Amino acid sequence: MTFYITVAISIAISSIAVLGTFMLTGMNGLFSLGQAAFMGLGAYATAILVVNYGLPFPLAILIAIALAISLAFFVGYATLRIRQDFFALATFGFGQAMIALLTETVTITGGAMGFSNIPRLTSPALAFISLAIAIFFVWGFRRSHFGKDSLAIRSNELAAEVEGINAFKHKMIVFVISAGFAAYAGALMAFHISYVEPATYGWILSVTWIIIVFFGGRDSLTGTVIGAIILLAAPEALRFTTAWRILVYCVIILLIINLRPRGLFGTWEISLKPFLRFFKSKKQQEAK
Amino acid sequence: MQFSIILQQVVNGLSLGAVYALIAVGFALIFNVLKFSNFAHGGVLGISAYAGYIAANQFKLPLIPVILVGMVTGAILAVLVELIAFRWIRLQKGQLVYFFVTSVTMLMLLEQVLIIRFGASFESYPYTLVKVRVLQFGDVTISVTYLLSLISTIIAFSGLIYVLKKTKIGIAIRAASNDLTATSLMGINVNMVIIAAFIVSGMLGGLSGVLYGISASLSPQIGQIVVKGFIASVLGGLGSLTGVAVAAVVLGVLEVFLISTIGSGLSPVVIFLLMVVFLLVRPHGFAGVSFSDKA
Repeated sequence: MTFYITVAISIAISSIAVLGTFMLTGMNGLFSLGQAAFMGLGAYATAILVVNYGLPFPLAILIAIALAISLAFFVGYATLRIRQDFFALATFGFGQAMIALLTETVTITGGAMGFSNIPRLTSPALAFISLAIAIFFVWGFRRSHFGKDSLAIRSNELAAEVEGINAFKHKMIVFVISAGFAAYAGALMAFHISYVEPATYGWILSVTWIIIVFFGGRDSLTGTVIGAIILLAAPEALRFTTAWRILVYCVIILLIINLRPRGLFGTWEISLKPFLRFFKSKKQQEAK
Repeated sequence: MQFSIILQQVVNGLSLGAVYALIAVGFALIFNVLKFSNFAHGGVLGISAYAGYIAANQFKLPLIPVILVGMVTGAILAVLVELIAFRWIRLQKGQLVYFFVTSVTMLMLLEQVLIIRFGASFESYPYTLVKVRVLQFGDVTISVTYLLSLISTIIAFSGLIYVLKKTKIGIAIRAASNDLTATSLMGINVNMVIIAAFIVSGMLGGLSGVLYGISASLSPQIGQIVVKGFIASVLGGLGSLTGVAVAAVVLGVLEVFLISTIGSGLSPVVIFLLMVVFLLVRPHGFAGVSFSDKA
């Protein structure tokens, strides 16, 4: 039973990072190949601040998020004005640089051996409530004017600018928020598995999150969350060797993208309306 | 540093840059035609490198047939990738982002195939493949495998320029790079042109895989070297193949110098900072050809 809870917590934490990617890549159409590096940054910064400097856990998380946000601002400032390939490239370079820094600063981070003995402060409640709040945040984001502007920029940046949207500022805000999400997920993850190592946070992880978003459907929040749960749980459910598992995973994704390009869920969203309508009609019948 | 050491580093850098240029041009060729970053190129490169390794190790083939095996494998595989991962999306007129997602998925898939077949360990081409290992010019020692990369790249690029400038299919590829729809309206079978582009790109990928395998070593993650091609092609300005090749050579020389001065650990940090500065100074890459597309 504890095994399942551990796995469920990991999935919940990773889903928070995937939600960040959903806003950035799914809604704004920006491909960040360094998203995982922000998670790594969050994990390391929080772990070091708590273990080496004795800071309280919440304060350390806040500092880590602030750090991730300022670095995201730096990367975004250089590249968000120009073509999207450059953004993908710069975030990729940032990710590599981050991993190199974490690996090289052996005295602080423990280098390639990783940083261990982190107390397990992430309780199941913290992880699940965090995920719930994250989902609620993204849900509100999508319904807001700001979120609608994102979709406008995604489909036609020039048209969006003509409409009076400051695309650069908008993309910057979304990028910074998604970096914050990733850093927060990293902090929770470090204090869940009590061990961090740099190699985990390479560009392949960032790509995995992008794949998850497209698997579930980039126009569907429900799809993204369910897609995240399916694809993150798949490695635990499919008890092959790792290589075969990822192979199967890749084949499934190729099938989905080829056969249902808009993702598993398309634009479908779960909603309470059908339930409400069902109860209403029942009440009306009783009243009659 | 002594002059002879600097000269040696320059040669090393040029040969590494030459391999990067092969990767980058194969990558940029597909970008020019289909307008997306084809990360699956790395998977093609990796499998071809291992195909060459099998040819050299188990069938004891000499150098040139080994290279040919790599190139043929690359060409076949690239066409397979196009049929499996890209054709269907293109026929459905899917958005460019879907190509990006399937290409990265193909890269991961091909990497897993290598892991399943060869395990996570490192392999290397048999030592006897290149009989003379070093050449001595006075103080300067030059590795023959590096020289081999350099020469093969020059031959491959000469061939590529001939194909793109003189043959009908090459001209068709260039036309398709300009405007895919207009090309098809001119009565050219675009699907055949795209297949041809993938064949050429796969051959370049296969060659770069074998060369990289000979001068360095093989591991299933070899395909991830495609990101060097990605960096070089974006910095070079994706529109121009020459710009891409130049950027790749510069990247190779830069990497070798950084590794010899500050070590391989921190060189990604310096490369990232240089990249950001470069993008601020020249937002459209070396060649300055601007595209207004996504992903």
